[in-house]
Amino acid sequence: MDDLHLLREMRNDIGSAPSATLARGRNTVMTRIDSASRSEATTDTRAPDMVRPIRFRRRVLIASAGAALLVGGIVVADVVRPSGPGATAEAAELLNNAAAATLLTSDPVVGPGQYLKIDTTAVYVASVALGDPGKGGRSVEWLDKSSDQLFIPADHGAEWIWNREARIPTTFFSEEAKAEATKYLSGNPSTGELLRAPGGNFYGGPRLLFAGLPVEEGVKNLPRDPQALLDTIRKRGKQGRPEAETLESIAAALRTGAVPADLRAALYKAAALIPGVTVVDKEANLDGKVGTAIGIDRPDRETRMDIIIDPATGLMIGEREVTLTAGETFPAGTATAWTSVQTSVVNSAP
Amino acid sequence: MSTDSDIIRRSRDSPAVFGELYDRHASVIYRYAARRAGDFAADDVTSETFLVAWEHLKSYDLDRHDARPWLFGIATNLLRRHHRAEAKMLKAAAKASSRESITDDSDRIAAQVDATVATGRIARTLKSMAAIDRETLLLYAWADLTYEGIASAMDVPVGTVRSRLNRARRALRTELNLGLLDETENDHGRLAPAPRNA
Repeated sequence: MDDLHLLREMRNDIGSAPSATLARGRNTVMTRIDSASRSEATTDTRAPDMVRPIRFRRRVLIASAGAALLVGGIVVADVVRPSGPGATAEAAELLNNAAAATLLTSDPVVGPGQYLKIDTTAVYVASVALGDPGKGGRSVEWLDKSSDQLFIPADHGAEWIWNREARIPTTFFSEEAKAEATKYLSGNPSTGELLRAPGGNFYGGPRLLFAGLPVEEGVKNLPRDPQALLDTIRKRGKQGRPEAETLESIAAALRTGAVPADLRAALYKAAALIPGVTVVDKEANLDGKVGTAIGIDRPDRETRMDIIIDPATGLMIGEREVTLTAGETFPAGTATAWTSVQTSVVNSAP
Repeated sequence: MSTDSDIIRRSRDSPAVFGELYDRHASVIYRYAARRAGDFAADDVTSETFLVAWEHLKSYDLDRHDARPWLFGIATNLLRRHHRAEAKMLKAAAKASSRESITDDSDRIAAQVDATVATGRIARTLKSMAAIDRETLLLYAWADLTYEGIASAMDVPVGTVRSRLNRARRALRTELNLGLLDETENDHGRLAPAPRNA
């Protein structure tokens, strides 16, 4: 065997960064850039005494959340474990029904000259820094929304088109955040971009299902047996990662909009085998579409990861990350990141 | 579509545009750093890479449309701060495979065993080679940069890249009992490069 081939295989199981990690990193970078470019022009107008109580409150919140988690842990050990491994009975039933329904929902057929269009709407946190974060400053956060449309040609080797619209500040939890977002946007008008790439190799690489696995390869090779599929997904992540990340990988695969019915069904059945997965909300509304949310807590981030399924068709409406505790900006129960996906067949692309 | 240099040009006047560069490349920088030194290092290196890039935006050569060599160059420097984490990872990889190869049971596929043992040997070789050779080799094998890309990332002539790669691969092949490196074999095993700036 070739030395380079062996070297490339080494640590190839390292997954791509969770989107929340990248979003957090982006905030760090953009906050510091913004504060650096502001401090060149203006001076900090916030008095330090306005900041201290907020920091104090945050610390108290984290402490009490820790206590609550401890209690939660005891309850889980006492109540959930005896009901067997995997998701709760209710969630498992829902997922298995969705798997059955999705097998009956035929995949869209893309004829010659047509495109599979994948409409995605995504929301995530944006923030600006007021003053220097290291020296008593703080950041103001709100939610940005962005939409994009991906057009996949019938011949996957042909040119794909991806229209990425600009990010728009949409949800504010204070007048101050709204004012800061408006100010930020007027100074930094956001632009979208229209990308074209043969074979969908935008930005120099193929689209991924998850963890370094290109969509085409995954669709072809992933096992359809739910337990084998779950094992494969877990193996692609790093050892000992929280189960919420396993569900996140499943959601990442589903949100590509490119997963055929048999793999979709297997992914739902695999999700039913994840301990801690529960039915969260039977009337979950995501971007105007209602479905059943199943989710799993992510204690280290104080959030819950949900996927929302249309029980009638077994299609995934979207996914979201919801805060479990109140932070400085977002009340408990805020979806601080969500994505909704819709696929259709169209005759033309931009 | 807009190239990286377009984004960098626009970021100079409008800082928010810089976020587009992050959106494009943060995930590959993160994965590369995580592969070399683990998640903790990757978290730090990814944000810092873009902050350093931001600070040096004015010195970016706008004729270079693809910013990846530049970003990987910055990340490579930053990863040196995490050399202990990298050494620990390589040590663990070397150990894990020797343990597995002893306790291995017969129904395991032979090829898989070979790969596991090979990983251990590779880890040992990577650990023992000069940092600069390791960086060059991994920019080639894991970051998928071309010789020219690595030259630009590390700010050395292409000939230097070539000799460092040869030296590193010779060490690998010796450890793996693969025989001497044939010059024509240099690009063997490399996946077809994805189109740049497609």
